[in-house]
Amino acid sequence: MTIPAPPPAAVLHVDIDAFFAAIEQQRDPRLQGKPVIVGAGVIASCSYEARAFGLKAGMPLSEARLLCPQVVILEGHAQVYRCFAEEIFARCRAVAPAVETYLDEAYCDLSGTERLHGDLLEAARGLKRAIRAATGLTVTCGLGPNRMLAKLAGKTVKPDGLACVSAADADAFMRHQPVERVPGVGRAHARTLRSMNLRTAGELRALPVAALARLFGALGAQLYERCRGRDTVVVSEREIPLSISRETSFHRDTADRTEIEGMLEYLVGRACRTARELGIRPRTVAVRLRYGDGEGAESARSLGVASDADPVVLLLALELLRRQFTRRVALHTLGVTLSNFVRGGGEQGDLFAEREAGRRAALYRAFDGVRAQFGHGVLVSGRALHLKGRLEEDEHGFVLRTPSLTK
Amino acid sequence: MRTEALDEAVAVRAEFQGGVVTPVAFTRRGREHRIKRVNARWVDRVPRHPHFCFSVTDESGDVYQIQLHAGEMVWWLDSVAVEG
Repeated sequence: MTIPAPPPAAVLHVDIDAFFAAIEQQRDPRLQGKPVIVGAGVIASCSYEARAFGLKAGMPLSEARLLCPQVVILEGHAQVYRCFAEEIFARCRAVAPAVETYLDEAYCDLSGTERLHGDLLEAARGLKRAIRAATGLTVTCGLGPNRMLAKLAGKTVKPDGLACVSAADADAFMRHQPVERVPGVGRAHARTLRSMNLRTAGELRALPVAALARLFGALGAQLYERCRGRDTVVVSEREIPLSISRETSFHRDTADRTEIEGMLEYLVGRACRTARELGIRPRTVAVRLRYGDGEGAESARSLGVASDADPVVLLLALELLRRQFTRRVALHTLGVTLSNFVRGGGEQGDLFAEREAGRRAALYRAFDGVRAQFGHGVLVSGRALHLKGRLEEDEHGFVLRTPSLTK
Repeated sequence: MRTEALDEAVAVRAEFQGGVVTPVAFTRRGREHRIKRVNARWVDRVPRHPHFCFSVTDESGDVYQIQLHAGEMVWWLDSVAVEG
């Protein structure tokens, strides 16, 4: 008996064009055709009109204003963006059995769907049309035999494009890609490679795997494969996110510890609630802050036992904050990130703490139920009470200046 | 461009056709604002019952955000975007 060969892999990468800025231009037609950026402190997203002036994500707003004085700067509406993203990802799930989603992009595993869809390029065209009709937004799609090639193919036809790299063309396509395009090669690695006169993925192939490993450690072996167009990372539904981040900049830079710790408690509460909803418990807690003068600090520590309980996570987060917030400069941004998750809700402690943990889990389950019905802001705890009256509220809780999303 | 929060219940005239709701006009402070264009629509599914959200331009060219809370069937006027 012969086992049939598995169908050739086919991955479709869907990237939402200028995501936040495109939504803002759609919500307000007066912004169409104008350079628009969304962000607070730095650019989170910019329209293609803004990109023509050299603006790009991550650039400080002060620099953006210098390059393009007429730019329209918006602080953004995270809840709205999330709704649009969910709509787009729902369309992706309608065509692909497995979809891995990020903030503004998705990988759709179309392997084995040829009999269902026929021509996969035509299926991608149909998906683009469906997304446009449902949301008014354009997406760029790349189709390839693996995730990396699908994404790189899309990059050649932005915005609103569709490109395909077949397995047969993969070698030639990859050979001419600049080294910066190879996933894992950041600015520093690219500088190292260029100093060695290695400018393209094809030229990178000259290095044996041992040399790459000596240069870049564990990443070296991956680069050896990737510069040859090979990527073995599969599309995963990623039911467990890599991290849950809740971060915001203050409406006005502040050094008021009551406000800062109140905000941290609120951010921890939001992040823990998301973890409980997903049935996961974080092991690692990170706190990130940025001062008004641009200097930043970040540190992370692991809990003794993974926990999704607000007070347990908050205790560690406050410790991290107090250790980092040492300068006499007002804070601009504060964020908390939970990561290193284990599956299973609640909290597991030692034998004698079990009863207390059980009671606490029941309490937070009850809190979550009330918040699901009446909104997160209906229950505000401890230090976060100090935010009442300082921040606007809606049914999602306090209206943060630059909220971030689960990744 | 800046957004002014309004956050008030509002009376809306709307068409319900083919399972799709489209606002036609809303009345605020006794004045009817006829909707010239629905710029964008999206659904917020985080609340227990979905909120159907719309960005609309009225006849005077102002851009408002309104939403229908499907649970209570209440229309809500969120904000207006003003130039300057």
